[in-house]
Amino acid sequence: MAEDRYETCSEGSACSQMGSNNKCKHVFDRLCGFAPSWNWNTTTTTTLPPPPSGRRIFHRDVEKEAFQYASSSHCLSSYYSVFVVRLAIMVMLAILIGLLTILTWHFTKIYTTKSLKTLAYDLRYELLQRPILRMWNILNSTAEITTAQVKLSQYVIRRYSNPVNQAEQVELYEAMRAITWALFSSKKALNSITINYKNGFVQAFHRDLKDNNTSYIYSDLSNYSMVANEMNSFSAHQAWNDKAIHGNKSAIWYREPLDPVTGDKIGKAMKIAPEDLINIAGLSQVPDGVASWHVAVSKFTDSPLLSAALPVWDSSNKSIMAVVGVTTALYSVGQLMKELVEMHSGHMYLTSQEGYLLATSTNAPLLTNSTKHPTLKMAVDCENEVIKLGAEWLQRAYGNHSPPSHEVHVENAKLGHQQYYIDSFFLNLKRLPLVGVIIIPRKYIMGQVDERAFKTLVILISASLCILVIGCVCILILTNGVSKEMKLRAALISQLEARRKAEASSNYKSQFLANMSHELRTPMAAVIGLLDILISDDCLTNEQYSTVTQIRKCSTALLRLLNNILDLSKVESGKLVLEDAEFDLGRELEGLVDMFSVQCINHNVETVLDLSDEMPKVVRGDSARVVQIFTNLINNSIKFTPSGHIILRGWCEYPNSCNGSPIFPLEQKKSRCIQKAREKQNANNEKRTTKRDNKVILWFEVDDTGCGIDPSKWDSVFESFEQADPSTTRLHGGTGLGLCIVRNLVNKMGGDIKVVKKEGQGTLMRLCLVLSTPTDVTEQHYALDFTDNSLVVLLALHGNMSRLITSKWLQKNGVCTIEASEWNGLTQVLRELFHARSPVHNNNNFDAHYPVTEGLKSKLLSIQDMKKPVFVIVVDIGLLDLSTDIWKEQLNFLHRYFGRARFVWMLNHDTSNNIKMEIRRKGNVLMVNKPLYKAKMVHILEAVIKERNLELQKRNNMIGPRTTTKEGELHEFLEIDSTHFDAGSSDDSDTSETVGSNPVSVDGDKQIELVARSPASSTYKINNCLVGLTNEHLEDTNNARKEESCQSSPSSSKHAIEESDPKSLSTKEPSQGGDSECGETHRAAGPNNNVVNGKNSLEGLRILLAEDTPVLQRVATIMLEKMGASVVAVGDGQQAVDALHCKLGVDDCRRDSLQKERNMRSQTEILTSPYDLILMDCQMPKMDGYEATKAIRKSEVGTGLHIPIVALTAHAMSCDEAKCLEVGMDAYLTKPIDFKQMVSTILSLTKRKTS
Amino acid sequence: MLGLGADLLWADMNRLLAFLFHQGVLDEQFLQLQQLQDETSPNFVSEVVNIYFHESEKLLRNLRGLLMEKEFSDYKKMGIHLNQLMGSSSSIGAKRVTNVCLAFRAATDHSNRSGCLRALEMLEHEYCYLKNKLHELFQIEQQRALAAGVRYPVQNN
Repeated sequence: MAEDRYETCSEGSACSQMGSNNKCKHVFDRLCGFAPSWNWNTTTTTTLPPPPSGRRIFHRDVEKEAFQYASSSHCLSSYYSVFVVRLAIMVMLAILIGLLTILTWHFTKIYTTKSLKTLAYDLRYELLQRPILRMWNILNSTAEITTAQVKLSQYVIRRYSNPVNQAEQVELYEAMRAITWALFSSKKALNSITINYKNGFVQAFHRDLKDNNTSYIYSDLSNYSMVANEMNSFSAHQAWNDKAIHGNKSAIWYREPLDPVTGDKIGKAMKIAPEDLINIAGLSQVPDGVASWHVAVSKFTDSPLLSAALPVWDSSNKSIMAVVGVTTALYSVGQLMKELVEMHSGHMYLTSQEGYLLATSTNAPLLTNSTKHPTLKMAVDCENEVIKLGAEWLQRAYGNHSPPSHEVHVENAKLGHQQYYIDSFFLNLKRLPLVGVIIIPRKYIMGQVDERAFKTLVILISASLCILVIGCVCILILTNGVSKEMKLRAALISQLEARRKAEASSNYKSQFLANMSHELRTPMAAVIGLLDILISDDCLTNEQYSTVTQIRKCSTALLRLLNNILDLSKVESGKLVLEDAEFDLGRELEGLVDMFSVQCINHNVETVLDLSDEMPKVVRGDSARVVQIFTNLINNSIKFTPSGHIILRGWCEYPNSCNGSPIFPLEQKKSRCIQKAREKQNANNEKRTTKRDNKVILWFEVDDTGCGIDPSKWDSVFESFEQADPSTTRLHGGTGLGLCIVRNLVNKMGGDIKVVKKEGQGTLMRLCLVLSTPTDVTEQHYALDFTDNSLVVLLALHGNMSRLITSKWLQKNGVCTIEASEWNGLTQVLRELFHARSPVHNNNNFDAHYPVTEGLKSKLLSIQDMKKPVFVIVVDIGLLDLSTDIWKEQLNFLHRYFGRARFVWMLNHDTSNNIKMEIRRKGNVLMVNKPLYKAKMVHILEAVIKERNLELQKRNNMIGPRTTTKEGELHEFLEIDSTHFDAGSSDDSDTSETVGSNPVSVDGDKQIELVARSPASSTYKINNCLVGLTNEHLEDTNNARKEESCQSSPSSSKHAIEESDPKSLSTKEPSQGGDSECGETHRAAGPNNNVVNGKNSLEGLRILLAEDTPVLQRVATIMLEKMGASVVAVGDGQQAVDALHCKLGVDDCRRDSLQKERNMRSQTEILTSPYDLILMDCQMPKMDGYEATKAIRKSEVGTGLHIPIVALTAHAMSCDEAKCLEVGMDAYLTKPIDFKQMVSTILSLTKRKTS
Repeated sequence: MLGLGADLLWADMNRLLAFLFHQGVLDEQFLQLQQLQDETSPNFVSEVVNIYFHESEKLLRNLRGLLMEKEFSDYKKMGIHLNQLMGSSSSIGAKRVTNVCLAFRAATDHSNRSGCLRALEMLEHEYCYLKNKLHELFQIEQQRALAAGVRYPVQNN
């Protein structure tokens, strides 16, 4: 692995350095193979070493890019490179193992060889030394014997000097013979002893070593007379010598065998020819009178003989009396050599200096058997092959010039087919120098070693081969695995890359969509605005008007679609930031249900809202988004539900309540962990809010009886552009975005949505939202207790579900209910109820057939037990037969019970006006629009109870009729409805917070649709009102305001404030409505009210505006002042900071404009904070908004103050928001200042502060 | 007679406004501006727009000067000017001017001189157009106000 990396690195650098193209290309091709590992390496190691040069990085990048394009040709070259790597590793391994082997072998061999060599040298030396010593011994002994013989001979001869006669002569010879025998017999190794007298007489003892025969040889005595003359001249010697030789030839010798031990004669003397048997040393051999040595041969022995000769001098030492010769066979030396060679091996031989063989270790003959006389052989002529070759080799090597000492040590002489050691030694004897040669086969000494070495080598090589093979296999396997892993990694990396790209492109898509829809929205808004202008134009015919209305409807639909896409992409690109404001959840949902019920009328679907009582009334969150969630869900349900019902159920769960403590960080953490989809921003919000708020998990179910969703699609329906059934697009339209947006929003709010299995037909969507409830709202639930009021509610409603749910709820709250689903049932119940009290009711005859059920009966009984029950009869207008004129009869019938019971009429949205008039004429004042839900019911019951109380009071006071108050009530309740409509204005689809203290948000576009759909009598007027802030309206408002201001400006404004408070409206005493006669106009002027509200909603706020652009400064100032705020404008951030710091100066400049406010405010408050809010432009000269904010926040540290700062930026789509919030700003507005958004932002900030 | 004239002028004004909206010269922000005009500040719109013109002319002059410099390196300053112009334009709802400003700023961000010059020319053109149209509008408005002033007591029923 490390090698691998190293290689790639080195190659990479090589690549960067090489200039030539083709080389570069080649390396690059190779590098391609390393691509996976390369990528991997770079990713893992880039952080460690800094790259050596920028150029290399560049290369790397280029290569990386190139890899992607070359991925197809990648494969082959990668195989190739892997192969190369494997090969390289294997070669390295082979070299390593080979080296190890060789070294091991070498060391083991060398040491043994060396020690063996020294040993062998010693051995050879020793071996050779011994025969030479033997030789030396032989020479010595021979010499000794000779000298002894000479000494004895001298003695004897001196005794017998000058023999007189023959007898004496014989006596001398006898004595000599005895002495000689004694010596001869004492030395067994002697071959012969000869004495040659001056006169030619010869005496000799000879021992044949082969058959161990001893013989005495002597010449015939008769031949030799006493020669006593001429013994003193040297020349005589010569003559003697010659004579002796010649004489000897003629002489007759006898040979007498002797007993080898005793020397007695054992046989007869035989005549033999002289010199036949032995060499007799003569005078010639001692020419100068000293001892001489030579090697002789004899006929009878096949070994050379060593003979020594010494003269025997007379007493005067002047003449030689005799010559003594001693010969010794060299046979024993050869014998010794043989023995030695037998023990060891090899061959030995001794030669004279001239090269004649003296002794060998073999049995090869040493003498040439020539015909006449045996002679010594040269060593090179030896019959033994080895000796011959050795001698030849030596001769070849050294020629005749043998080294001075004759010592030669050669180790690897190749003789024949074998290696030999050849060593020669030189023995320098006087007159007989000797050379010894020993030839030992190398095999004998080194054979084992060589064999062993060879064996070890073989073993080592085979072992290393095995290791090599195994190693190669291992490497193969390893690299295979590694390369596989690398490939996998490469694949993974490319996958990741692809995924990242895909994500990026999807992100781009979202971004693009967001931008696009943003861009599209603007012209759409313009189109709608223009249409509004057109609609407000007077000179339109009815057809034109309807066409334009249609166009407007379509445009709003298109805008809604765009908004959806924008929402989706916003959520997907993580830009959506949820608002965090308090809102009335119940009210929102009621508004929603109201709205959809209109849509449902055509579908024969009832929309039911079923919220549990413990639901918190006010929660914190993004109301618009919450409403959007339910809008989408209910829209979907309506789309797919042809008949039946749609129920929106809601209940809640307090995660903290089980612990009894309001704040439990652990618990919250846990819950946060579960909500993984939560965004950071949201989390921040949460963190901020959890300090004050309780978390509450709200559960909702949207239950319909539509076609349902296939269980396999339960998950996929939440994907974008996904619909449960492809055919739905054709049938119902839609883009499939709705549920996706819902899921995204729900996830963002920390909840979850899923489709739940449902019994029966339809779909059941269950979702939970995590919202916080403000703790300061002490009374969260409806404080309901109707038990004391002994109310009896008769629910005569068409829709089964809503009736059921309402009655259940009422019963739970202690209200007795009776249900009736149709006209006949109603009449029967009425009859039963008022049976005792009204005897006049039996003119209705068609309901007699109706049997009274047991349940009803028991209820009736229980009702009869009540004392003074108050009957409330809720009648659905749909129960009346409206198609014909029967409804009038029915009304009359019901009118009979008037007085005994309160009638509440549930009106349809399309209920015609004359019916309403008729009902009103009959004195029925409680009319509410469908659908009926809890809040409406509560209102009804409260109204009834109040009315009863009032009645009781009046009865006590005995004053006046009730009708006027009823008139008031009528408008009152109509207005309850209308508040829902008024709340949203036409072009406001985002902001949820309206100016009042009770924020109500209804999607404005839908609202318009809704109104446009209802063909009410006063369409034109209402349309005009609801269409929004057109110029004409402005004009009207202006006019109206002018009128009012002419009369009394302060009172009118106060009045407006009062009216603007929907809460006070809804809970107002019925009798309080002073201007109830003009209720219709009030209703019409709803939107204007809104504007009026806006105008004064910032009453008394002191706002510092830091803005450098004069235009904006002016616009913003006017806007704010219109709403009652007092504005101080400064030109840059520095001034803003200064203005905040010098309170006195600020107070001065404000003095003229803020007279009234200052009077109203307490002085201390002004001192604590000079402004309630700062609007800060982000980009200003000298000091920009961010800096200024930082400075302000810095100066606030420690004082406990926190002036809200709202950023104004010119970047419409920028992500500056984070930056703004980071430096400490509280909110963020984009620069074409949206009037409402600004107001709501300011209000939310200042309200939060004051609360 | 006069009331009728006021109506006609009203229609004219609406038409002109519609035209400007249609062309994208103005957007809803202008409507908001108009809504802000009431009896306490009767000439608010024209006042603001006049400030705007005054300011914008100064800015345009500065921009041209900056762009005409030999070594024009002060794109940052131009960006600041453009931001101001953009902010004020968007505040009065001059949409096309705002858009051109956006393009201009993109050009300055990229230090693209030819782009800047083109954008400046477009900007001047748009600006002149806007100025003319708004002047026209204000003239009608003035006439209408006069006419409405006559009509005003009549409607008070």
